[in-house]
Amino acid sequence: MKPSSSDREAPVSGVPLTAPRGGARPCSGAAARGGRALAPFAWPIRAVASSAIAFLCASAGSLPALAQSVAGPVTYQLDPNHTFVTFEVLHFGTSTLRGRIGPVNGEVTIDRTAKMGDLRLRIPVTTVSTGTRMLDARLREPDLLATTEYPEAYFVATKFQFDVAGGVKEVRGEFTLRGVGEPLSLVARSFACRQDAMLKRQVCGGDFDGALKRSRFGATMGLPFVGDDVHLVVQVEAIAP
Amino acid sequence: MTKSSLLAIAAALGFAAAAHAESATYAIEPSHTFATFEIGHFGTSTNRGRFNKTSGTVTLDKAAKTGSLDVTVDTTSLDTGTAAFTKHISSEEILNVAANPTARLVATKFVFNGDKVSEIDGNLTLNGKTNPVVLKAQNFNCYQNPMLKREVCGGDFDATIVRSQYGVSYGLNYGFPDNVHLVIQVEAVKQ
Repeated sequence: MKPSSSDREAPVSGVPLTAPRGGARPCSGAAARGGRALAPFAWPIRAVASSAIAFLCASAGSLPALAQSVAGPVTYQLDPNHTFVTFEVLHFGTSTLRGRIGPVNGEVTIDRTAKMGDLRLRIPVTTVSTGTRMLDARLREPDLLATTEYPEAYFVATKFQFDVAGGVKEVRGEFTLRGVGEPLSLVARSFACRQDAMLKRQVCGGDFDGALKRSRFGATMGLPFVGDDVHLVVQVEAIAP
Repeated sequence: MTKSSLLAIAAALGFAAAAHAESATYAIEPSHTFATFEIGHFGTSTNRGRFNKTSGTVTLDKAAKTGSLDVTVDTTSLDTGTAAFTKHISSEEILNVAANPTARLVATKFVFNGDKVSEIDGNLTLNGKTNPVVLKAQNFNCYQNPMLKREVCGGDFDATIVRSQYGVSYGLNYGFPDNVHLVIQVEAVKQ
């Protein structure tokens, strides 16, 4: 319901807090085929550099695919005004308790020709909002989100599946919460790209679903009255350069 | 009046009293009761907003399978996660919460599936306009809350409303959808 740009509050570029250790990591932006989850802090600071590195790496590793490519890899900056993670968990087997985390910063590189992608989300768990301040405070404590020790969660995904139209169908990677990394798959409920009239850029995004067991991450308070199965509902929009 | 007819009346009264005793009043538990709206954003993703303050009462007669509710949502408690978005939706252009600080759902028809509420048919007043609305239950359950030491009933309900019917027509001409999905968590404590 909101125009995309006129009322933007936050900058769209997700600048990492920490510079890449040991200098740049060439090909980190296009390490999709390796499938190795990278350290959350390892991505290049500048989107332009990331895109260039991803392009070079893609060309080194996938010449035939690139020959057919028009655009090559494109790095999108997440639009924090339209990127939120909502978790849903069943309360006493009765109703669904929801909490929103965000705005979320990060970036995603997509190469539709090579059918590769690379997504890095920094999820500020300190922003957890349920609508009830007491519950928000309780969620930040050490036996749940442990936000003092772990103020951010991360999702680093390098395995992308595309549909026939080139839309993102599924992203798989590693979700790190409370310092514990576990595999996570986000499946698109919807995905689309548009030419945004106000931004005059391409914007891609959608709604994704994921599932995890909170006990696997050590967030055990309230079990079993509050469920172990957590449903993630992710809204994401990302803006092309 | 014969003895048997007196007995019959007594039995009928007794039955009525027993049936009446099945009807209970529940107060909305505000920390587990939230209405969230979902609306498509340019065909790309879904924008959400949650109203943080809801109050009201529900009556439930599990034996007679009837119920009613009268719930008020404080529209000034809207929270989207983005201050500018919250401000815009609250403005005169959209929900006009200064003029209409509450939305209200009144229902007297509860549909049961077995012993669980499966649907609530009521009237929603939003932005000063009232239209019928059907809430479908995704979950419904009652449990004994160990902290409150009382029965709590609740569930998840959803509904789709057509916002222009409530006079909320902002952006329809540039592609913001008319249909809005409402996702409602509710729990209510037996009084």
